Amino acid sequence: MRNTLSILCVTLAFGLALYFGGIAAGPYWQLVALNLAMWIALTQSWSLFSGLTGYVSLGHVVAYGLGAYTMVILFREWPVWVLIPIGGAVAGLFALIVALPVLRVRGPYFVILTFGLAELVKFVLLAVETALGQSSRLMFGAPGAQTLLAWMVALAALATLLRHFVGVSVFGRGLIAIREDETAAETIGIPISRYKALAFALSAVIPGMVGAVMALRSTYFEVLQVFSPTISFTIVTMAIIGGAGDARGPVLGALFLVALSEILRGVSPQLYLIFLGISLIGFVLFAPNGLTGLLRRKTS
Amino acid sequence: MTALAATGLHAGYGDIEVLRGVSITARTGAVTAIVGANGAGKSTLMRVLAGLLPVSRGRLELDGADITKLPPHARVARGVVLVPEGRLIFPDLSVHENLILGSVTPHAQGVRDETLAQVYAMFPRLAERRSQAGGTLSGGEQQMLALGRGLMARPGVLLLDEPTLGLAPAIAKDIFRIVPRLRDAGLAVIIAEQDLRRTLRIADFAYVLENGTVVSSGKGKDLENDPDVQRAYLGLSGH
Repeated sequence: MRNTLSILCVTLAFGLALYFGGIAAGPYWQLVALNLAMWIALTQSWSLFSGLTGYVSLGHVVAYGLGAYTMVILFREWPVWVLIPIGGAVAGLFALIVALPVLRVRGPYFVILTFGLAELVKFVLLAVETALGQSSRLMFGAPGAQTLLAWMVALAALATLLRHFVGVSVFGRGLIAIREDETAAETIGIPISRYKALAFALSAVIPGMVGAVMALRSTYFEVLQVFSPTISFTIVTMAIIGGAGDARGPVLGALFLVALSEILRGVSPQLYLIFLGISLIGFVLFAPNGLTGLLRRKTS
Repeated sequence: MTALAATGLHAGYGDIEVLRGVSITARTGAVTAIVGANGAGKSTLMRVLAGLLPVSRGRLELDGADITKLPPHARVARGVVLVPEGRLIFPDLSVHENLILGSVTPHAQGVRDETLAQVYAMFPRLAERRSQAGGTLSGGEQQMLALGRGLMARPGVLLLDEPTLGLAPAIAKDIFRIVPRLRDAGLAVIIAEQDLRRTLRIADFAYVLENGTVVSSGKGKDLENDPDVQRAYLGLSGH
């Protein structure tokens, strides 16, 4: 119980610091705060499914993109605060529908399938947009930067709490059992298909909402940019660097990468990518459980 | 009282039929043994009973209710629990976590701490190693852990698939000592084993499986000297 309370307090404190700190420190830092919150929300959601079940998804951008697309096409019809949850619902529903065929394969096949699925959705939507005569879409009258930061920080906090509480629940333990040994999980009575599908759908909802908020932020929608596989790669990279074992990992991973990119991008964008590659290799080889794994090794 | 009743089970992998009309019953408070040579279909039968493998024909009843089509997790929820061959414990999780995972079904969840205490009392070795990773245990301890994890689901029917496979003789003996205790606790225990002599000695009733059919059955002690059994077990063809 005390643990639950401390998690709630830390998340709340961190969220408030991110929001008010971002606003107080001026427009540049406000953008950094938005970015940080976005990556935390995305990586926590990814970790909820891939970290717990061990099924590595390389297509999480689909949820983000569908949320953004939902926002963009319905922007003039409904208020924004309705559309953000709808973006999440669309992404979650899509994940639930594709879960049945996609979750039949495991290991590297699953990785490739999720990546291929994301590319498929991207090009289908590109074709649709082209057929509609829309090469890109603009939105006028989107909410201001502060409002969007508030949304994003709330989503990051929500994703963190969701990841934590699912991880320690019976459902989460079932997902861990699936990761450890799927047949054994089946024999101890875990409804594996249902659990996997539910976790997969759940891990898409917040990224859908994040995509909807980011569409408002850029006020501009272009399929190839929004559905860029780089987003999926970055999520996985952050999870590897931070560690996907618990809810601290994605926060640390996002902090590390956002800091690295902010420090080095000004100096040289190439340097950032080189450092990114080096740290990824370093972590995979020497700290496969990421920053949280290193922390745990230190304390124990 | 009959707990589990299988009638005319047919099952296999792809085109290969492994079980060809197997009928068995298992009573509550009794040990039912499935013996036979390698490849006779023992493990396939256990997988079918647990729901891991679908049947092509036949019927399976638990306490009179049809469970032929139920998925594995629904059977566990009704108390049919398999301790699989090769143990399949979770190697990276601690002994304690392995056991906790055994009680994911709602009815086991409610009495989890009580069951955990019983399992630790039954296997003091597991209590000593509760925070150790499952994969670091010895083979015998892993088998105890698998058994303990199965008991955490509060089974009514416990399926033990080759529980002594690959264990040192002294440890196999320990496992054989535990089985009658489970029976006395009121479980219907179904055990598939290659160790014919020891298995028949603890079995109240036994079925001899050969090429996917039951070739002989009877009280455990009566079967020990049955020539049919010797033949089926050794896998010799003809009389």
